[in-house]
Amino acid sequence: MSMDELLRVSHLNVSFPDDDPYDGIEERDTVVRELSFTMKPGDILGVVGESGSGKSMTALSVIRLLKKSARVDSGQILFQGKDLLSLSEEELCDLRGLGISMIFQEPMTSLNPVLRIESQVSEALRLHPGKEPLSTEEIHQKVRKVLEDVGLPDPEGVCRMYPHELSGGMRQRVMIAAALITDPSLLIADEPTTALDVLIQEQILDLLKEIHERTGVAILFISHDLHVIRRLCDRVLVMYQGQIVEEGETKEVLDHPQHEYTKTLVARIPRVATVPGDTPVLEMEDVTIYYPPRGASSGLFRKVKVEPYVYGASLKLYQNEILGIVGGSGSGKSTIGKVLTGLHGIYDGTIRLFGQPLEKVLAGNERPQMIFQDPYSALNPSHTIGWTLMETLRSKGTRSREKQQEMALQMLEEVGLSEAIFHRYPRDLSGGQRQRCCIGQALLYDPKILIADEPVSALDVTVSSQVLELLLKLQKQRHMSMIFVSHDMNIVRLICHRVIVLDHGRIVEEGPSEEIFAHPSHAYTKKLIEAAMLE
Amino acid sequence: MQAIVKKLFSLILTVLVISFLTFIIFSIIPGNAALAKLGVDASPEQIAAMEEKLQLNDPVIIRYGRWLFGALRGDFGESLQYSGVTVGELLGSRLPVTMVLAGISFLLIVLLSVPVALFCVKFRDRLPDRILTVLGQVMMAVPAFFLGILITYIFGLLLRAFRPGAYEGLSLRYLFFPALSIAIPKIAMTVRFLKSSVRGELSQDYVRTARAHGASEDQVLKNHVLRNALIPVITFLALVIGEILAGSIVAEQVFSVPGLGRLLITSISARDYPVVQAIVMYITTVVVSLDFLVDLLYRLVDPRLRRGG
Amino acid sequence: MKKSWTFARIREFLRLNPKILIGLILVSFFAVMSLIGQFWTPYIVTRMDASSVSEAPSLLHWMGTDNFGRDVLSRVMNGSGITILVALITVLIGGIIGTMIGALTGYFGGIVDEIIMRLNDILLSFPSVLLALLLISFLGPGTINVVLALGILFIPSFARMVRSEVIRYRDRDFVRNARLQGIRPLRIILIHILPNARISILTAAAIGFNNAVLAEASMSYLGLGVQPPTPSLGRMLFEAQSFLLNCPWYAIFPGITIILMILGAALLSEGFKEVSGA
Repeated sequence: MSMDELLRVSHLNVSFPDDDPYDGIEERDTVVRELSFTMKPGDILGVVGESGSGKSMTALSVIRLLKKSARVDSGQILFQGKDLLSLSEEELCDLRGLGISMIFQEPMTSLNPVLRIESQVSEALRLHPGKEPLSTEEIHQKVRKVLEDVGLPDPEGVCRMYPHELSGGMRQRVMIAAALITDPSLLIADEPTTALDVLIQEQILDLLKEIHERTGVAILFISHDLHVIRRLCDRVLVMYQGQIVEEGETKEVLDHPQHEYTKTLVARIPRVATVPGDTPVLEMEDVTIYYPPRGASSGLFRKVKVEPYVYGASLKLYQNEILGIVGGSGSGKSTIGKVLTGLHGIYDGTIRLFGQPLEKVLAGNERPQMIFQDPYSALNPSHTIGWTLMETLRSKGTRSREKQQEMALQMLEEVGLSEAIFHRYPRDLSGGQRQRCCIGQALLYDPKILIADEPVSALDVTVSSQVLELLLKLQKQRHMSMIFVSHDMNIVRLICHRVIVLDHGRIVEEGPSEEIFAHPSHAYTKKLIEAAMLE
Repeated sequence: MQAIVKKLFSLILTVLVISFLTFIIFSIIPGNAALAKLGVDASPEQIAAMEEKLQLNDPVIIRYGRWLFGALRGDFGESLQYSGVTVGELLGSRLPVTMVLAGISFLLIVLLSVPVALFCVKFRDRLPDRILTVLGQVMMAVPAFFLGILITYIFGLLLRAFRPGAYEGLSLRYLFFPALSIAIPKIAMTVRFLKSSVRGELSQDYVRTARAHGASEDQVLKNHVLRNALIPVITFLALVIGEILAGSIVAEQVFSVPGLGRLLITSISARDYPVVQAIVMYITTVVVSLDFLVDLLYRLVDPRLRRGG
Repeated sequence: MKKSWTFARIREFLRLNPKILIGLILVSFFAVMSLIGQFWTPYIVTRMDASSVSEAPSLLHWMGTDNFGRDVLSRVMNGSGITILVALITVLIGGIIGTMIGALTGYFGGIVDEIIMRLNDILLSFPSVLLALLLISFLGPGTINVVLALGILFIPSFARMVRSEVIRYRDRDFVRNARLQGIRPLRIILIHILPNARISILTAAAIGFNNAVLAEASMSYLGLGVQPPTPSLGRMLFEAQSFLLNCPWYAIFPGITIILMILGAALLSEGFKEVSGA
């Protein structure tokens, strides 16, 4: 092996015990299979794959932080010529934080809540004193320097703070600072941007790139997000069911995928195929939506502070139209949907559906239905799918159980699920199947207006495009109007006729989607589009 | 600071509400104070005279006001069962015994449960931990009075370490045994709570971060986990103090220790309501102040509550 | 087909959780024993026998005899019946009323919720034995009063548990979904939310049973619960205390019976908790 190799992983196999209680025999589930790759000093290598593809296991085995139940069955991991698998726990502790550092997905929980930032950032430095231990003052200076390097304003102040006083993006910067304070040669980043808001994601990626250019640290970057990988990585490994199915230059792999799986991964988002009519089914005029007083803890003696979510929004939705509402987290984009379905009732202004006041429609059977972001939470875990579907019909007034069952089974077929699903519980289904069930449930109500609140953002890429396809197909067949709430500009551009951009509760831009994407006029829209990295 | 004042305010309010409620309830139960003082053989005239003397015919609110006014100056009235003895004197003679008893139990609990819990964490999922877990499970199921009887039998009758029923003065040697009977089940509870708290913290994300920084198993425990795991233990120990008070009621009965608990039981049987009321107020104040203390301690230990609150 | 699947789940449940299994065995053993004890006991429960006073355990008297020559086994069999009955009824009272209060306040929230829960918090911070004592002092001693007092006492803990479960699910999307299909709140609470809380309710019931056994025994020991001559485990321990040196078995066997019953219920509740956590 040549000395200019930083990391060489060869024929790595990692397994977990199989937790099937029925057979007494212990079986093992192999989650990483015959994995081999190399990294040179200063490389940025991306590992992309869906949940369960083994990409995080790969990262954790390199730094030897796998859970106790996981086992490396065979293979070799050479880091700077040292075989990591043969090191003792003590030698590993010496290496972690010094030669190899790691940052994680959840900046909110990955910092110790009761320790000050300074002691957490300096931890790796203090644990690896080397030959000449630094004085407290020197350590403090280094912490300040590294906090400054990761772009935190007022490093002196941040040193004395506790994690809960920082925002998510700032915490991730602190995590990066703590990882880099010892000048490691390899930084492992496990989905470091996934839990962050789109615009913050962008900043963290810029920061990593900048640090890489300055210090030359090699980065092993794990992500499910192709755009993020494309932004940062020179080379990419595509993992599927524990194996590498494709690897190469990032641009080459993503633009000209060879393997079938990679092709589905970069699959195109379906495009809307309907033509909207010109009768508005929904009109909102100057609607201001307020926070509910209940959630804000109405103290007995405290006066309830009412603060708007959404300020004076006016919009129209036409027949057969798909209207996109986009914005970052906290922009109030989900709230509009909640008001339209009656889940949230505190607003000023007029809302008319089908020419009638909202309240009147909500009391009747023409209520708009909603698809939620997390299909697991949207299905009752203690009832079967069949029960849930039949309950919907019951509430709509279908009394006969035979009729209910027949209609439910028919709906399962319509959303592309087998009859067997009828007797299953939500926990037995995959994310995509669950979301199909939710769509089916909403459609049993036969709504004229469907509100989809981030319906695919909890799903893996391939599943996501299938679910979108289903939604578009049903929208066309059933002549529904749809409000599509999303943070993902790539999807919104293709499946929405028109787009509304919300920033901190205000509509800042509105228009046909093609036009908005071609010529965004508002700065916030521009930022959102940039973050989506459209070419 | 504002939150603390608010908490203090609700503390006082709670004590007042409970004193009022107990007063009302005691005044509506049949068998009033005059009857209790004179005995069942008293004639109606005697009772009427006594009612007049004790001012029992005034409206409840007035009587409560009178009682509250007295209580604020430390005057809780006169005991009905021991004539001529004020409630204050009665409590004053019984309180120190219970305090010492509770103190010994609390010390036993803290001094024994923390090391045992740490030992279990160190050997978690291995044989010593498993044995202690099973033992703890059984200990938690032992009723306090049965434990008291067992201790009486083993230490008192078989080993003759103390003479059951012959309590004199403020004897630490004697009180150790009832204290032990109160402490043992609580030790088992505390150990279990500490263990699960540590376990919970060990699965947190920040532990993984510390490992990635190169911290060893011991360093992770010492520098990160313990500080977080001890925070909820504060609340738990406050609850335990309440439980110790409850335990002392039973233990004093088993070991014939003339403390507050014993007084409470005899007063309940004798319908000596001024005494019962005073004891209830005492325990209420202790419990509610503990709650307040826990709140203050939390603010000290947990930075998330320190600012803004 | 659906039936066998449920059966498989029950089997899996038991095999996965030895705690539930052992707990179930203990609890059902004592349930059966005490049930038999209501109709048949080896000796007549209250019959005194001057010829066999304070006898050590033997083949004739498995648990020995007490200071009046009464058979301890018979008394334990009969007396644990009262204990279990009291515990069951109190858990039922506390469980049903507590669940109702917790579900309604949790789902609707508001000022009523706030007040009830503040009250609950105050009550819960007091040791339950103390509260039971106070209630008994209002109500007077006796079996029925103990049941009432303990039943009332268990309401707050059930209410709090159910409330927190209901709040946990209240804002889940499936409840929102049910709301926007126009399903009535009562049906949402009963059919959509509460089934999700079933394991927590079972756990709380097991813990409640546990506390009730303990509290009933303590009350009877203190002379405030079951009145003589009805045998009850707590009362027996009180009586036995005076004769410890001569017949320790009169104290030990009822004591062990209480311990095992409580252990059984505790194992059940822990098992349930583990299953729900997994």
